[in-house]
Amino acid sequence: MSSPGDSRRTTARRRETALFLLAVPALLLLGIIFAWPVLRLLAMSVEDGTLANFEKATLDELYLYVLFDSVKIAAMVMAICLLVAYPVAFWLSRAGRWGVALGMFALLLPFWTSVLVRTYAWLVLLGRNGVVNRWLRDAGLIDAPLPLLHNTSGVLIGMVHVLLPYMVFPIYASLLRIDPDLSRAAEGLGAPAWRSFLRVTFPLSLPGVSAGCALVFVLSLGFFITPALLGGGRVIMVSMLIEQQVREFLDWPFAAALSTVLLVATLAIYALIGRITRGARHA
Amino acid sequence: MTILTNRRGLLRAAGGIATAGLPLPAFAQGSPPPKPDRIVVNASGGGMATQLRRSYFAEFERLHGIRVVDTSPVDFGKLRAMVTSGNPEWTVTEIGGQDVDRAKELNLLEPIDTSIVDLSRYPAAGRNSHAFIGSAYSTVLGFRSDVFRDGSHPKGWAEFWDVRRFPGARSLRNHPVDNLEFALLADGVPMDQIYPIDMDRAFRKLDEIRPHISVWWSTGAQPAQMLVDREVVLATGWNGRFFELARRNAPVGSEFMQGSLKSSAYGIPRGTRQAYWGQQLFQVMTNPRLQAMYATELSYAGLHPDTASFVAEDIRPLLPTAPVNLERQFWLNVGWWTENGARAQERWNRWMLQRG
Amino acid sequence: MELSVKGIVRRFGPVTALGGVDLDVAEGEFLTILGPSGSGKTTLLKTVAGFEIPDEGRVLLGGEDVTLAPPRRRDVGMVFQNYALFPHMSVAQNVAFPLEMRRRPRDEVKRRVIEALRLVELEGYGDRLPRQLSGGQQQRVALARAVVFGPRLLLLDEPFGALDRKLRESLQLEVRRLQRQLRLTTLFITHDQEEALIMSDRIAVMDKGRIEQVGAPGDLYAHPATRFVADFLGESNLLDGSASAGHAAIPGFGAVPLPAGQPDGGVTLLLRPEALRIAADAAAMPCRGQGKVLETVFLGQSAKLRMALDGGGEVLARLPLRPSDPPPAREGETVAVGFAPEDLHVVPRG
Repeated sequence: MSSPGDSRRTTARRRETALFLLAVPALLLLGIIFAWPVLRLLAMSVEDGTLANFEKATLDELYLYVLFDSVKIAAMVMAICLLVAYPVAFWLSRAGRWGVALGMFALLLPFWTSVLVRTYAWLVLLGRNGVVNRWLRDAGLIDAPLPLLHNTSGVLIGMVHVLLPYMVFPIYASLLRIDPDLSRAAEGLGAPAWRSFLRVTFPLSLPGVSAGCALVFVLSLGFFITPALLGGGRVIMVSMLIEQQVREFLDWPFAAALSTVLLVATLAIYALIGRITRGARHA
Repeated sequence: MTILTNRRGLLRAAGGIATAGLPLPAFAQGSPPPKPDRIVVNASGGGMATQLRRSYFAEFERLHGIRVVDTSPVDFGKLRAMVTSGNPEWTVTEIGGQDVDRAKELNLLEPIDTSIVDLSRYPAAGRNSHAFIGSAYSTVLGFRSDVFRDGSHPKGWAEFWDVRRFPGARSLRNHPVDNLEFALLADGVPMDQIYPIDMDRAFRKLDEIRPHISVWWSTGAQPAQMLVDREVVLATGWNGRFFELARRNAPVGSEFMQGSLKSSAYGIPRGTRQAYWGQQLFQVMTNPRLQAMYATELSYAGLHPDTASFVAEDIRPLLPTAPVNLERQFWLNVGWWTENGARAQERWNRWMLQRG
Repeated sequence: MELSVKGIVRRFGPVTALGGVDLDVAEGEFLTILGPSGSGKTTLLKTVAGFEIPDEGRVLLGGEDVTLAPPRRRDVGMVFQNYALFPHMSVAQNVAFPLEMRRRPRDEVKRRVIEALRLVELEGYGDRLPRQLSGGQQQRVALARAVVFGPRLLLLDEPFGALDRKLRESLQLEVRRLQRQLRLTTLFITHDQEEALIMSDRIAVMDKGRIEQVGAPGDLYAHPATRFVADFLGESNLLDGSASAGHAAIPGFGAVPLPAGQPDGGVTLLLRPEALRIAADAAAMPCRGQGKVLETVFLGQSAKLRMALDGGGEVLARLPLRPSDPPPAREGETVAVGFAPEDLHVVPRG
C-alpha cells in the first residue's frame, strides 16, 4: 500500500529522472571523447606492470625541469593575457554597437588564420632584421637589435597573441552579465569610478577571470608549435616532449605517463585558480 | 634503459601479430579490383604537394580516372595509430627515411608488389621490400651568398665550426639527427668512419658551436626563411629548400660538401582498402620523365637511372644524386638511428636544457 | 527649495526625451512624478541623480548648481527599480557602502548600519546575502542603503513594480512613514496613479517630455488642467460640447449650465463617474438624459456601468453599493441618468 504522499514523491522523482535524462547525451559524449581516452592512457602507461614510466616522468630531472618550465611559461602567458585582456573586455562591454563589431572582428580575425601562419608572421615582425627592430633602429631608440625572438620573450608574445581571445571572451561575457545599475548605484552612493570598479565590477567579473585564466593556462600547457618555432629551440614545453615520444619514438607508454602527469598538474592548478578567485570574491 | 626495453617489448608484440596473420598474395592474378572514386596520399605538403600533383598525381588521374586527394603532414605516430585501429584513411603515405625500417618491423606496411611496380632498373639503394623510394634528399650547408661571395663560403663542417674565419649567426636543427654526424666530421672524423657514432665526442664538439647558434630550427621552412631575413648567415637545411631560394634569385647558396643523404620513401599502410591502386601510383612514380619534371622543380631526384638525362644540364649539378655530389656526401645510417634514436634524443633534450 | 529643476532639455538623436522641464521640490516634501512609460520621467530622474547631463537647463540642490557634478558629489540616495543591491556583499556591507565611500570611522559605520537596518525592521539580517532575502526585504535593504548616509534627496525609481499587491501596499505605507520620520525630501517615480495618489504630498504629471500639471493629489483629481491629466488620473467621462451664453450643449444631456465667465466656443467637460446617478436617483438631478446599459461590473463597495446615451456617446457611471442593495440595473435596460452641474469641471486645455 502506498499513501498519496508516496505517489507524489514518486512523481517528483520521476521528473528529476527525466531532467537527468536530458543530460545523458552530453555525459555520454564526454565519457566517450574524454573519460575513456584518459583511462586508456592511464592503462597504457602501466601496461608493463610497473610504475617505471611514472618514476621516470616524475623523478628524472629532465622531465621535472621541463614540466616546471612549462607551468612557469603557461602561468606567465596567463598573467600577460589577463593584463591585456581585461581592459579590452572592459572597453568592449561599454562600447557602442560599432565598437563591439570592430572589437569582435579584430579579436576573431586571427582565428581565420592557422596558428602556423600567425607564428610565421611573428618571425617576420620580431626577427633581428624584422619590422619591429627596424622601426626601433630607424627611430634611434636602439643601437643593436633587441632579441625578441628565439627565446622566452618570443614564445610569450606568440602564445599571448594566439590565446588572447580565450581570455577576452569569458571576461567580456561576465562583465555583460553585471547589471549596469550596480555601478550606477555605487557611483550614486559616493564611489569614484575606480572604487566602484574595485569594489563592485571587478569582484563580480571574477567568474569570467577565473574561466579565462583556466582556459588560457590549460591551452598554454598543450602548445607546441608556437614555442617550437618562436623559442628557437631554447624553450621546451612538456607537450613537445610528449609529441616527440608519440611521433618519433612510438614510446606510447612513456608518453602516456608524461601526459598523465601533465593532466594531474593541470587539474591541480585549475583547482587552485578556482579557489583563489572564489576567495578573492568574498574578501 | 627503460625506453629501449619497452620498445623491444613492443617490437616483439608487433612481430607476433605479423606471424599470426597469414600473408595474403597481393592481387596475384585476375582482374584489378573495382575503382574507387578517390585515393588519399599523405605527404609533406607545401610546395612538394604541388609538384607531386603536377608530376605524378595528374598522370595517375589521367591513366586510371581516380582522383588523388592529398593530405599532410607526415606523421609516423598517426600511421601506427591508423594501422592499429584498422582501415587506414591513407592509401599511400610518405615515411621519413629513418622510419622505414621501424615501420617494416612494426608490420605497418603492405609489401611492394613488384609485379605492378617495375623496379628492375633501379639501383640497390632504391629497392626496398616494403617502401617505394621516391627520391633522395640531403641535409646541406646553406649560406648568404652576399656575405660569402665568390665561393668564399665554408665547405664542410670543420669550416662551419670555424667562427673566426666565418663569423656570423648560425642555425642548426633542433634534433640530434645529422647534427651528431656533422659534429664528428667537424672534429676530424672521416666520412666513412662516422658510425657507430661516439656520442660523447659529438656532444663535446657541439658544446663548442652552441654559443654561436642563434636559432635551433624545428621546421624545414625555417632555415631558408632565416637566411632570407638575415636572421642568420649560415644554416643547415634540406637541399630542396635552398634550391627553391636560388631559383627565386634570393642571395642564398648551398654547399653539398659533407651533406647527409637520405631517401624519401613512400609506403602503403597495411590494411588500407585501396592498396592495389597505391601500387599503381608507385608504378606511375617510377617513370623517369615524370621524375625529371619533379627534380627540375624541387631538386629532389628520383632513383631511376634515366632521370638525370631528362633534366636540363644546368640543373643537374644541383641534384643531390648528381655523381659529383654523391661522392662528396655520406648516406645517413638509418639502422644506427633506429637503434639509438631515443637515447640520442633524450641526451639531446638534456643538452638543450643546459643553458648557455 | 531643496531641489530645483530649471528648463531641462535632453535630446537623444531626433527624439526629445525632455522638452523643457521646470520643477521645485520643497524640503521634506514627497513629490511624485507620474506618467506613462516613455513620458521622460526616468530621464528626468537620471538627470537629477547625475547619470544624465542635460543639453539645456540646470539642476539645483539646496541652492547649489549641480548640473555638471558627478553622481557621487550630489549626496542623493537612490533606490533602483530592481534595487541594484551588490550581490557579492552582505546586507550590512551593502548598507555600509555609502558610509565607507565617505570614509566614516569604523565604529560610526557599524552604529549607523545597525540603526538603518533597525529603521527598516531588518535587524539581525546583516550577515545575509541579498539573494537570501525576499523581494520585499531586498527593497528595504535598498532603502536603508539609500538613507543611511543622510542624503539631501531621496530618489525612488518605481521601487514597488516587482512586488505583489499586498506587500506593495504595506511597503508604500512604510516608505511614507520613514520619509516623514526622517523628513526626507523625496522624488518618487511611478506610472501607477493609485500609488501616486496614496503616497504624495504633490504630484507632477508628465507626458511626452513635459510636465502637464503639478499639484496636490485631491486638487489634480478635481481640477485637472489638461485633458491628459484628467484622463490619466482616475476614471473620467470627457464630454465635448460647445459653450454659448453660460451654457454648454452636450449630446445626450442637452444644455447644461457652466461656471460664470466661461467664454463661448468649444469646451471639454470632465465628469467623474461617481458624480452620475441613474434611474430613481437621477430624478433629483438638474441635468438628465437617458441611456441603455451596455455593461455592469460588480466591484464590492460599488458597481460600474457603461451606458450608451440616447443622444449619442458613452458614459461611465460608478454607483455606491451597500451589502443589501440589489444590482442597480440590468444589461440592456434603458434607464434615466443625471448629475448636478456643480460636479462638472471645465478642463482648461482640453
